[in-house]
Amino acid sequence: MRIRNLEKRIGDFQLKIEDLTIEEGKIHGFVGGNGSGKTTTAKLIMDIIQPDAGRIEYGGLKLTDITMTSQRPYLLHDTVYANLVYPLKIRGRKPSKEQIQELLALFGMQDKAKQYARSLSSGEQQKLSMLRAMIFEPKLLIIDETLSNLDPESVEQFERMILEIQKKRPVTWIMISHRLSHLYRLCDRMHFFSCGRVIASGTAEEILFANEEPEIRRFMAKELVQRGEYDL
Amino acid sequence: MNGIENLVNRLFSDVGVYDAIRVTLCMSVCSTLLSSVFGIALGLTLERFSFPGKRIVVRINRTLMGVPPVVVGLVVYMLIMRRGPLGFLGLLFTVRGMILAQTLIITPIICGMTYSYAVKTAPAVRVFAKTMGASRLQTSLLLVKEMKYELYFAMISGFGRSISEVGAVMLVGGNIKGNTRTMTTAIALLKSQGIFHEGLTLGLLLLAMAFVIQCLADFLRREVREEENY
Ligand SMILES: Nc1ncnc2c1ncn2[C@@H]1O[C@H](COP(=O)(O)OP(=O)(O)O)[C@@H](O)[C@H]1O
Ligand SMILES: [Mg+2]
Repeated sequence: MRIRNLEKRIGDFQLKIEDLTIEEGKIHGFVGGNGSGKTTTAKLIMDIIQPDAGRIEYGGLKLTDITMTSQRPYLLHDTVYANLVYPLKIRGRKPSKEQIQELLALFGMQDKAKQYARSLSSGEQQKLSMLRAMIFEPKLLIIDETLSNLDPESVEQFERMILEIQKKRPVTWIMISHRLSHLYRLCDRMHFFSCGRVIASGTAEEILFANEEPEIRRFMAKELVQRGEYDL
Repeated sequence: MNGIENLVNRLFSDVGVYDAIRVTLCMSVCSTLLSSVFGIALGLTLERFSFPGKRIVVRINRTLMGVPPVVVGLVVYMLIMRRGPLGFLGLLFTVRGMILAQTLIITPIICGMTYSYAVKTAPAVRVFAKTMGASRLQTSLLLVKEMKYELYFAMISGFGRSISEVGAVMLVGGNIKGNTRTMTTAIALLKSQGIFHEGLTLGLLLLAMAFVIQCLADFLRREVREEENY
């Protein structure tokens, strides 16, 4: 998938992406500060909003094969189970009991199938929205800030699961986060967003160690300081 | 003992309480169902499409929500009276005519409530449906399902309005005993005859019905809010 000269204006905010390639079967990371345009780009890819100019070449990918977990997931007014199987239901597919249990067990939620989805803790709601996005085996998954809200153990669990999926049946992922630390272990390629532009793209190594862009160095330094790994 | 017997007899024979209750329920159920179909469809359509003058339409809708029923009654009366444009339908002084008037009164209420709920709910549902790859039809069905308690609530509000309305029903129905007399018009008649006790009894009955409806509404409201983990 390739994004060419994409432009979108929302109020005072101007998104402008000249060239961004999302390679198939790879894990991509969108990283950047709050309001840098990551979610807006994801929404453009998902066709939730339409660009003012430029285009997205999907390269044979259909919109129904793309999914996105929202930074604020929408859960149906129903049980965890009903939420989980919704994408299967609309595709006329029958979920198997084992598959559901297996998925829920990934996040230790196997006892919660009958619980009202909106009564889950916010982290559990995020997990449910991720499982729901994965259940119908889409070809491109956009995970918007969902990892950012999980506890460390769940993040580890999730990373292990993604790597396993990638070995079996490669899927394209776009992981969005406002922290480099959430992404660099996982992502094959990272794209750094700033003020509505992608100012750097490359492997995690390239972004972390070889990029001279002052903005990115500053961003990294601040993150390190906040994590207490670097004392001023 | 004699007093109660007297009262019951009087209510049942003179004013036709049984019939009034039957007519009230029949009329209210029919007009609520009709209004629900029109009101929900209109409300969802209004939310779905934007067009020039939409704000005016919404404002008119809100105005109609509070229109005095007796005005609607008058208009419907003029339409269906023998010399009126719809006079050939023979709706004057019939329950069907009353249902027509009530549907015109309640539809804006259900439409307005549906619209307000849809404005709040639909954007998130649509985005969600898109991320799931739902078709247009599936998206619309999902929206209705996600709003179902709110829609029940709107219907109940319409029904409550319907059973308690008197002006339009009086004008269009004519308060004919055993035929178009409702609980409310029966009360009006009893009052004009100076028979207050019986009027009050009927009034209490209506109040009890309204209470049951409120309980139902409350139950639905709780159903919506409860168990949410903010
Ligand atoms: N619907 C909207 N109305 C007004 N401003 C918006 C809207 N959506 C996004 N923006 C603005 O666009 C900018 C980028 O937002 P977003 O892409 O969500 O950032 P992030 O990189 O944190 O995901 C923000 O400054 C935000 O205020
Ligand atoms: Mg965002």
